[in-house]
Amino acid sequence: MARLPLEDVKILDFMWVMAGPAGTRMLADYGAVIVRVESPTRIDTARTLAPYHNNQIGPDASGLFSNCNAGKFGITLDIGNPRSREVIFDLVRWADVVTESFSPKAMRAWGLDYPAIRKIKPDTIMLSTCLMGQTGPLASFAGFGNLAAAISGFHNLTGWPDRGPAGPFGAYTDYVSPRFTAIAILAALEYKRRTGRGQYIDQSQAEASLHFLSPALLDHSANGRAQIRAGNTDPDFAPHGVYPAKGEDQWVAIVCKTDDDFSALCEVMKRPEVARDARFQTSADRRKNASVLDEIISNWSRALEPREAERLAQARSIAAHAVQNSVEFYGDPQVAYRGHFVELPHPVYGKTIVEGPRAKLSRTPGQARRAAPTLGQDNEYVLEKILGYSEEQIADVAGSGVLG
Amino acid sequence: MLSPYRVLDLTNERGLLCGQILGDLGADVIKVEPPGGSSARKIGPFFQDEHEPNRSLYWWSYNRNKRSITLDVTRSEGRELLLRLAKDAHFLIESDSPGHLASLGLGYKDLAATNPALIGVSITPFGQDGPKASYADSDLVILAAGGPLVLTGDDDRAPVRVSVPQGYLHASTDAAVGALVAHHERCVSGLGQHIDISAQQSLALATQSGILAAPLDADQYRRAAGGVKSGAMTAQLLFPAKDGWISCTFLFGTALGVFTVKLMRYLAEQGWCDEETGHKDWIGFGAALASGAEPMSEYHRATGILSSFTSSHTKAELLRFAIEKGFLFAPVSTIEDVVESPQLRARDYFQEVQHPELGRSFRYPGPFAKFSESPIQYRRRPPLIGEHNREIYCGELGMSDRELSELQERGII
Repeated sequence: MARLPLEDVKILDFMWVMAGPAGTRMLADYGAVIVRVESPTRIDTARTLAPYHNNQIGPDASGLFSNCNAGKFGITLDIGNPRSREVIFDLVRWADVVTESFSPKAMRAWGLDYPAIRKIKPDTIMLSTCLMGQTGPLASFAGFGNLAAAISGFHNLTGWPDRGPAGPFGAYTDYVSPRFTAIAILAALEYKRRTGRGQYIDQSQAEASLHFLSPALLDHSANGRAQIRAGNTDPDFAPHGVYPAKGEDQWVAIVCKTDDDFSALCEVMKRPEVARDARFQTSADRRKNASVLDEIISNWSRALEPREAERLAQARSIAAHAVQNSVEFYGDPQVAYRGHFVELPHPVYGKTIVEGPRAKLSRTPGQARRAAPTLGQDNEYVLEKILGYSEEQIADVAGSGVLG
Repeated sequence: MLSPYRVLDLTNERGLLCGQILGDLGADVIKVEPPGGSSARKIGPFFQDEHEPNRSLYWWSYNRNKRSITLDVTRSEGRELLLRLAKDAHFLIESDSPGHLASLGLGYKDLAATNPALIGVSITPFGQDGPKASYADSDLVILAAGGPLVLTGDDDRAPVRVSVPQGYLHASTDAAVGALVAHHERCVSGLGQHIDISAQQSLALATQSGILAAPLDADQYRRAAGGVKSGAMTAQLLFPAKDGWISCTFLFGTALGVFTVKLMRYLAEQGWCDEETGHKDWIGFGAALASGAEPMSEYHRATGILSSFTSSHTKAELLRFAIEKGFLFAPVSTIEDVVESPQLRARDYFQEVQHPELGRSFRYPGPFAKFSESPIQYRRRPPLIGEHNREIYCGELGMSDRELSELQERGII
């Protein structure tokens, strides 16, 4: 097997649920050796979240868990039990990076905060990620990414102006912050490579995610304006919308970026006279008369399969795409061409499917190397192969009950 | 952290955030703009609503910590200059349509021929190859292709996007991860490589792994205003407050149901519902709804009780409940709420960045993480068009003033 770019990176991963584990999953794809510690008694919330293999709930059924943890080793350890201490300290000595995503204070209570970790291994890079950051009046505000998205302003900016907020789908900051988690770890590794120094990284998922709202935040600072949800309208482009297509909940997104795009769309719709209509000459005209125009486009799109509307528009270089759900994405020839989904052997289900690495590196490509660990799957491997414990020591650890 | 490295950033609005992240981490990022300025400078909103390329707030948002030069790379002298710059660069990021730079003799292979250690990053809507590689694109279109759009919005209307464009930001952050992974490898091998990012694939992460429903033969999520549908269930996740809305994770099952148990017991204690309702098996409630053991009307009764509680409190009061009692409540913040957040203030999050050309400062979102040893610094405000032409062409490439003005006259710089 070709050398993987991060195969010299060792991570002790205490993170759980979605935001944290999705960040280290990216590093696992490129070869980082990751030992994730799970509680044997308090099940990782991610293991309980949909979608489930064959729609059946079970401890190893969650596709979300499997997507966030592919390529990692899993050990169960009762962190609260002092007898787990020795194993954890040995793992800290082994690791370059320690990550955790509990609410602040948890690691301190267990004697595993940065000052404690640093005493064991001074050049450790430690990253804590939580909703609001380690300090401040809301430091102890815990929960999930839907809450961090709401408090960061995403919900109020998503939906129709004549209705209440719809909100972005699900735990939105859990899709944004993992990238910044991976970036922060890689940057700290580079700093350590040059200086020999480790450090502590305090990542607030809300603060990282606010970079995705920068234009709205600057609009407030520069112009005193507080943006609010605007449906699918765009300040520059028109038409700019999602139009009904043939079938239940079938839609096509269409955007005209220029007047030429609009003329071409009118030809595609076989309505050349619409392009000459005084109400639709400029983008500003078309925005002003959007409801009339949207009705004209809908009357055309309603008769077509979404992929057919997409094909006709794209043939004239108009930005358009079927609005795809999981079934349609799975069947998208582009997705298949890029090898987005990867099949892996699975100890419970025989096989499973996860998303593959997103960044395609030409010389040292990443790969999803193994399915996410089942609960405690790698206990022995971690103790024996990673920590080099003797048979006796392993029996001792098992006998102490800390593995669950 | 990246101060020894130089980045050439040729991206347009599709990829600006990638270079800014590397700049925030300390790299010397040179934004290479076509003469007249990047197309991203035409994107609003604008400072004082004046449509002027140096006043685009979209541009400001994603070009901090960069210097700017102008260069027409479609002309041969421009191409030569870019090759000279690429010789000493460590990263080159671009977001043109696949094959465009190669057609100018500036594809990754051309650049690597003069600098084999260069890491080239390409950010495109669908990736460098495949049946849709040359598709026309926009934020809305890649959101549609990637999976999150159909899940967002009201169930009786068309799917809807976040009003602040999000699509390419997901792709740009994936690109930064890829660039740093390749850099880590380069420190061992001495070699660069090319990184190919597809925004469509990046966006599938924004489905909460719902994109795996089809391959795993599971129920798909479907959109519902302020909530989500799955199977026969429509879960309500937004609730009215006295002064707006809150998000509440009112769900069931072994992990999330624990919070609902705590919340409903409290509501019973405080007289918002009867004892029996308060002590229902909320852990097993979702399964009971699915099997029909509990009717859906019982779920709606519960959300009704919660709504009457939340609507008689303000967002701030409900947030206090979240902190003091561990309820899964969060206010739906307005932009004013965000900029006035006591939490962000306590952490000194927002950064005042001086714009001397406008005689004032502006408040930028702060560092994406707090590093104890090597904190992120905002060293430079977003550059004006070609602001660093002289500094870079004359000061660093050794061009004479006369050569520079000649190239400027001919429209190459």
